[in-house]
Amino acid sequence: MTPAIALHDLSRYFNGFAAVDHIDLTVEAGQFFGFLGPNGAGKSTTIKMLTGLLAPSTGSIQILGQDLLANPLEVKRNLGVVPEGMALFGRLTASEYLRFVGRMYGLDKQTTAQRSDELLEFMGLANERKKLIADFSHGMGKKLALAAAVIHGPKVLFLDEPFEGVDALAAGLLKSMLQRMIARGATIFLTSHVLEIVERLCSHIAIIHHGRIVANGSLDELRAGVQARLAPADGEAAQAANERLTLEQIFLSIVGGEQGAERPEGELAWLS
Amino acid sequence: MAELIANPKKNIWTAQQTVAQFRAIAWLRWRILFNGFRRKGGAGELVGRILVYPMLAAAAFFPTLGAGFAGWYFTTQGQIAHVSWLLWGAFILCQLLNINLGRPGTTFNPNELIRFPVRLRNFVAIRLFFGLLAPANVLIMLISLAIAVGISIARPSLCAYALIALAAFAAVNVLFTRMVFAWVDRWLSTRRAREIFTLLIFAGSIAFQWANVNFNPAYNHHRHANAITPQRMSAAVQLYHRAHPFLIYLPPELTGSALVAAQRGRWMLFTACVVATLLFAAIFLAVFTLRMRTEFRGEVLSDVANAVAARKPLAAHVALAPSAGVDSGAPRRLHSAVGVVLGKEFLYVRRNTGIFYSLIVPVVMVFLFAGKMSIRSNSAWLIPAAVAYTLFSVMPLSYNSFGLEAAGAQFYFLAPVRLRDVFLAKNILNLLLAFVEIVVVLAVIVYLSGRPSLLLLSVTLLWAASTLLIGLTLGNLRSVSSPKKIEFARAAGKQASPLSAFISMGVLLVLAAFGGGLLVAARFLNLSWVLLPAFAILLAVAFVIYVLGLKHVERYALGHREELFEELSKR
Repeated sequence: MTPAIALHDLSRYFNGFAAVDHIDLTVEAGQFFGFLGPNGAGKSTTIKMLTGLLAPSTGSIQILGQDLLANPLEVKRNLGVVPEGMALFGRLTASEYLRFVGRMYGLDKQTTAQRSDELLEFMGLANERKKLIADFSHGMGKKLALAAAVIHGPKVLFLDEPFEGVDALAAGLLKSMLQRMIARGATIFLTSHVLEIVERLCSHIAIIHHGRIVANGSLDELRAGVQARLAPADGEAAQAANERLTLEQIFLSIVGGEQGAERPEGELAWLS
Repeated sequence: MAELIANPKKNIWTAQQTVAQFRAIAWLRWRILFNGFRRKGGAGELVGRILVYPMLAAAAFFPTLGAGFAGWYFTTQGQIAHVSWLLWGAFILCQLLNINLGRPGTTFNPNELIRFPVRLRNFVAIRLFFGLLAPANVLIMLISLAIAVGISIARPSLCAYALIALAAFAAVNVLFTRMVFAWVDRWLSTRRAREIFTLLIFAGSIAFQWANVNFNPAYNHHRHANAITPQRMSAAVQLYHRAHPFLIYLPPELTGSALVAAQRGRWMLFTACVVATLLFAAIFLAVFTLRMRTEFRGEVLSDVANAVAARKPLAAHVALAPSAGVDSGAPRRLHSAVGVVLGKEFLYVRRNTGIFYSLIVPVVMVFLFAGKMSIRSNSAWLIPAAVAYTLFSVMPLSYNSFGLEAAGAQFYFLAPVRLRDVFLAKNILNLLLAFVEIVVVLAVIVYLSGRPSLLLLSVTLLWAASTLLIGLTLGNLRSVSSPKKIEFARAAGKQASPLSAFISMGVLLVLAAFGGGLLVAARFLNLSWVLLPAFAILLAVAFVIYVLGLKHVERYALGHREELFEELSKR
């Protein structure tokens, strides 16, 4: 089966600094994939390259079996993206924006109008449809960006911090919508710093650190890996590992080596 | 800075710490400016500034020199009271400059400083200090200094008094400008207020131009007697005399009175006048501080912050229909992208009152000036001049195509569309606007001065089309390499890259000179028949350049997308 996303030897340099350092990654179709990493690890750079916002320095990006760099238009027709900055048009109303996006993805007028109405209702923005996006709050903008990302029924959805600023009620609805998309065969590539959300939603997870993939697999596989690493070294840790590790513990164990190490007693003692 | 907070337990904020804060903010502004030049395309910005700043300096030089000379002249002639006329002129000139130029490019939002331990008075001082760099404030300080120097050269004994009085006058003007800008920013923080304000400015500028055309002797040679009649002069003098009892209590007259008092050795009166002038400064400072106090407490000036939350109860949620699922099966047509982007561009134009008014102004100006020009002997140049003038307002729009969309421009790189289609749609809109504008302007000219020669009309239209195509080609490239996010919520932020504005004007002037040269040469050699094929060739060349440019712009945009997003996504 053709993987939804396949990266080979992908890297991106900024003035000689490798923000993403020759990574290989495969995401199978139908996976809810979590892409994690500490700040500055290379998550946003990777997602920008995957969505065509940034050119890679080396490597190849295959999405649904097609090369993104060689056939960007064919690939983009099947992608939905909620980018870091949301990419909204402040001087359009929510309804106009969704219609614009739908038409840009090649939907006919009737389908676009029907889906715009459905999505605005679903996102709780139906009463705000005539308001300019510039007047939206951050959370409302996020919901609209999500609606725009799915209006054309993408096969692969990239979400960069999709729940940031979204209220709990809307977040619950969005999660159920995303899970329904997965059930229908879509692939979702999610980055978020809220590890509880990733743990609850994602079937597979990759962790990037210093521009390199340092862990990749299902949650159980990552858990087993961490347990195996802890068991022979430390009896107490091994006992803890017998308990079910949370994603946060796994994440800290993998990337938090430096930060999580024992710190001197007097460090930052001036903090009240 | 560690030594400045050596004894934090005392919790005493020292003067050195305040100085350090000022230094840090000055350094921050400098680094933001300097680092801006290090970006891709920053060299172009630097070149733009190197070209534009000397021009601004030259423009400031003549009024400054003139004011200094006039100050010297009035003093030597024993008419030092007339210095107040200069001060009124300087005041009005600076207000006009404020409206037209605004503040220098905003490098950061000064309200972000409130998250640091900055006291209100320091915050006010910082906002005041950086406001000194506004072109109008620089000019008023230079003019005041020049007048003081002129008076001092004429009567060295008045040097100290002139410096004191004119320093007070400059302070009043600077504080007045800062106060007005601060409050205007507040009032214009909602879209509706901005639209009303733009309408007022538009109406005011049209009224000013109407008065200029009808009363300025330069435009009324043929009926000079009608423009400035004894009745009108008498009415103006009467108006002045009626207003004078009130004007003498305002800073320009107070400063003039202070200088007269100093000349006559009446030191008490001099002091009283300077104190009265400074009283105005204190009032302006107080009103400015009042606004700053609100901003200091965390007020955010934006549409979002001012949006009135008149929410209706939420409708019951409907379940997401299966049609929004994984595969729509809907037709995927790329060729419709041009039409869709064009539709969106129309919505943006409809909602941008600034563009709307900037398109009306040339028509009104042509209406005002065409009647005058058509009476003169050189009316043959009327149509080319009017069309060239019209393009001045339309051409710059294409040099910052993504400025209004800001971060939304990323969408074009995410969507399955060819970027050349996006540029084509934006260019079609520019061409349509230009077409409508030129048709209206031509209609005005035909109405005022009769039907023009067919040859001249054809040649002018060919020239306009060529100029537009070349301008659009360069504008597309500049829109990518040097974009500027356009801020709606600020009264006078930077609207476009200086170099882009310079190129836009330069292209138009060069092509106007070329077209004008061809016209003159053809007339001189009596070869009018050459004009049509010559301008047709020019259009063909421009068209080829445009098509090649459009093909190239896709790769160019992809190569420059990082700086495009960096600039347009700025907060």
